[in-house]
Amino acid sequence: MEPSSTDPALSAVVPDDTVRALDDSVRSIWTIKLAGLVLTLFLPALFYDLTHLFSADPWLPFGAISGTVLGLGIIYCLVWPRLRYRAWGFALRPEELYMEHGVLNHVRTVVPLRRIQHVDVSQDLIEREYALGRLVVHTAGSRSSDVVIPGLPLPEAERIRDEIKRFILEDPLTEDPV
Amino acid sequence: MPSASSPTSNSDSSSAAPEETAPEADASTPLGAVREPQRLHPLTLLLRVGASLPALAVILLPTLQNPSSENVVSVVLSILYGLVALPAIILQYLRFSYRITPQQIVIQKGVLRRQNRSIPIERIQNIQIQQNLVARLIGLAKVTIETAGSSATEGSLEYVGLSDAHEIRQAVRSFQHRSAPEADVEEAAADETEAPDSETLFAMSLPRVLLSGAFRFSLFYIALVFSALQLVDPEAIVQRFLRSQGRIDQITETMAAYPVLTVLATIVVAGILGWISGVLIHLARYYGFQLWLDDDKLRKRHGLFTVTEGTVPLKKVQALILRTNPFMRAFGWYELEVQTVGMNVDEQGHRVIAPFAQYDDILALAQRVRSFELPEAFGSVSRLTIRRRFFRYTLALSALLLPGAYFWPAGWWHPGGAPLPWWGFLLVPLILGWALLQYHNHGYAVRDDGLYIRRGVLSHYLWILPTEKFHAFHATASLFQRRLNLKTLFVDTAGAAAFAYPEVIDLPAAEADAQLDRLYGRFQALYRTRIEALTGAPDTRLDKEERPHLPVGDEAPSP
Repeated sequence: MEPSSTDPALSAVVPDDTVRALDDSVRSIWTIKLAGLVLTLFLPALFYDLTHLFSADPWLPFGAISGTVLGLGIIYCLVWPRLRYRAWGFALRPEELYMEHGVLNHVRTVVPLRRIQHVDVSQDLIEREYALGRLVVHTAGSRSSDVVIPGLPLPEAERIRDEIKRFILEDPLTEDPV
Repeated sequence: MPSASSPTSNSDSSSAAPEETAPEADASTPLGAVREPQRLHPLTLLLRVGASLPALAVILLPTLQNPSSENVVSVVLSILYGLVALPAIILQYLRFSYRITPQQIVIQKGVLRRQNRSIPIERIQNIQIQQNLVARLIGLAKVTIETAGSSATEGSLEYVGLSDAHEIRQAVRSFQHRSAPEADVEEAAADETEAPDSETLFAMSLPRVLLSGAFRFSLFYIALVFSALQLVDPEAIVQRFLRSQGRIDQITETMAAYPVLTVLATIVVAGILGWISGVLIHLARYYGFQLWLDDDKLRKRHGLFTVTEGTVPLKKVQALILRTNPFMRAFGWYELEVQTVGMNVDEQGHRVIAPFAQYDDILALAQRVRSFELPEAFGSVSRLTIRRRFFRYTLALSALLLPGAYFWPAGWWHPGGAPLPWWGFLLVPLILGWALLQYHNHGYAVRDDGLYIRRGVLSHYLWILPTEKFHAFHATASLFQRRLNLKTLFVDTAGAAAFAYPEVIDLPAAEADAQLDRLYGRFQALYRTRIEALTGAPDTRLDKEERPHLPVGDEAPSP
């Protein structure tokens, strides 16, 4: 064999025209989840402000702490999901699952379909509201033993799952994965 | 496991009726296969009671110390112990049984909560036989069964007779061979006798073990000191201190008078203790180390007090790791480990195959485990890594020192008029040297047969990751790395340790991406040739239009 990445039969890892974005409404889901997080930070701040409302010498004007937390939290809730959405891309190719994501930490991942141990499609309460699903792909690798694609329309997630299953079932090589 | 050599048989022996093979195996297996449910060895009871004695001793401690007083509580507690713990041990023993059939090992256990676990024979990666000191004296052994499925031990038989333990392993092994129909009958027959074709690959004599320990260093003695303190009554220590007050004062005065000398003496003593405990630990762990090759499995046995015997199937070796430290390296000594999946927690998923050998011997040995070809030259990562590491370590050092320097009390030591922590910044040139060394030691090579990575200063690693064991390919860039246009490249393998993970840190971004492509290309090419060899055509799996691709609004996913 003479392997080389210029062989036309071998798909290069990144022909970027096929990389797809997640479903739009995943941004709303992320916003809701982050809002919950911000709320858990905001409530203690508000509590602190209220309990110090009548203190003799307030070192901060009323509402400074809770206001700051709320303001930053709202910006975070609105901006972060957009950044995250923009950073996400994935593609199911004939022999591999390709994805790139991460706002601060950029990650490009290639998971050969042959290496997938099993695939789940899961949904939590909020995702069910938006009819989205999460594709969770388990490999035997130690660091990336589960790879998650969030925010796919549920039927599409299920179809991808079935495609992966079919690939594995029809793989002529039946060696042990590890 | 023979499955990879016989892909078709594997699938039908796992899925197709177990009933089908059972009677056939029944008829032809005299090999001491345990058919009926078996109990553990009766002496297990003795060992379990022995193991629970320390608890009893703690309960009775007050009574033992002053027998005259009537210590009702501890007497009541010890009666309770007799009423609860002893029956529990006996019940546990009675309710534990194991059974080995040609398809699976069945372990039933539990008094209140019954557990019935069956482990498929094919999934068993490793059967380890362990004997601690007491077990050795009375001829017992602990058998642990590991599978690929989980990181923990799947089943453990504590304890069975030593001969039973070997028999279990032999039986499992022959059943595994049996599940492959084309495995020769002669081969199966050969397995029944005590592995006559085993070849000694590596053995360590006593001087070699001692020498190997002399190159290691261990902080184990600190734990030892503390556990020794546990045994001594604290009051006695205080009493002794009070009585020898005069001598203690003398010592502290001397220490205060010569601070530098004291520090030096402390370092020397700690060093000597660490060195000695390194030697002792190595002696206890690797005494009588022997490694055999039984046609397709590595088998090793070692230990002074606790003798461990384990096997590693060659096919299950995920990666080879050559490890050394600067002292060992200076004299050409290396350690060889293999990475496996059914992971042994003690060794963090790495199994030491040869604790201590010269470079050439290690390479020859590694070649027997898995053939590879060391690259002549390693590519190095970007020089910017020096800068990144230097900044990172300096920042960490500052974060440590600055608060100390700021809050340093005026009455404390101010050498040269500055608070002591400021002098810590003298370490900055050392940090630069450290970063340089890390850059210098970090290298990688992408070859047809795999990825080679070397890294590390104090603990120097060389990872050999074979292409066929690649699992997922990653290139990552953190915020700071992106500023310098760098990336970290790594290929995930099964069972890799979280600590000391094989990755190529701070490659130029373009190079990292290109190498990711290349690595994945190698992987694809390898599997294409395998499929071609099997089916006679490059890729007969699915038609082009049948292949999985994004179903929604997809316009021709690949050229």
